[in-house]
Amino acid sequence: MTRKLRSLFLVFALLWIAPASAEAPLEEMILTSTAQGRNIDAAVAALLQAIVNHNYTFVREQAIDSRLVPYAQEVRSVRLVYFCNFAKMNQALKLDPRAAQMLPCRVTLVETPSGVDLIAVNPAWVSQSMGNPALHAECENLKQDYLAILEEASM
Amino acid sequence: MSRAAKLRALAVALSLMWAGAAPAEPLRVSKSVSLRQAVDDLTLAAANHDMVLVKMQPIDTALVKRGFDDPHVRILFIGSETAVRWAEVAEPRLLNLLPLRLTLIQRDDVVLVLSDDFEPWRREFPDNPANLLLKAWESELKALFDDFVGQ
Repeated sequence: MTRKLRSLFLVFALLWIAPASAEAPLEEMILTSTAQGRNIDAAVAALLQAIVNHNYTFVREQAIDSRLVPYAQEVRSVRLVYFCNFAKMNQALKLDPRAAQMLPCRVTLVETPSGVDLIAVNPAWVSQSMGNPALHAECENLKQDYLAILEEASM
Repeated sequence: MSRAAKLRALAVALSLMWAGAAPAEPLRVSKSVSLRQAVDDLTLAAANHDMVLVKMQPIDTALVKRGFDDPHVRILFIGSETAVRWAEVAEPRLLNLLPLRLTLIQRDDVVLVLSDDFEPWRREFPDNPANLLLKAWESELKALFDDFVGQ
């Protein structure tokens, strides 16, 4: 009888744990801000300054269709800015090589009639499905850096 | 409750727990080549599937140059104009996945190539046409990986 109760308890405990573990706070997919009233060149310049101010290094800037169409035909209203912090990159790759899925850091800028939208994929959203808590903690920090950079760049 | 029924219940509980905790997996393929050869082979495979190598990001040499250990990792970005135009129309947030990223990890004589994981994106966009587009990109990458291994 005791054994039966113990087995039942185990089954209920497992059933209770499974949904509980799935209830971890879900990250939003996209981090975004808007630089109102700016054109894309001004927004890129502000973003580059914010990147440097937060101890990141500019890597490159390109149009979304760079190298896919002749230069003159590139859509210059959608730009990608890549940047990184080498110490953080080193740390993340040591924790898990799959961190490369978030490297280098990137912000996509989209020019709209009212300004420029700055958009980044939330690294914590990417890492939450990887099953590596140490990497996820790093990505939570990286998310905070992204938010600070986006905020400063859109001020 | 019979013993068999209890075992069945336990198995169900365990499988539920495992399914909840199982990490998502990107597409992956491996090949016994050098990193440089892998880049060449992937570039050729991309060309065979109407895609272009947009950028090779040598993060291994970038880190070594700054005094860090060599992670033996490189990133390739590949793309096609069609993918960009379809994303612009179907779901502009998918532009954040473009150009498509391939992660190359060298371990001894083997290079492991990983795509980004499309599963969280498909969950985020369960409806067409974004979901269809993601499936199409994943199929293209699968075909590209097959080509890469077959070379």
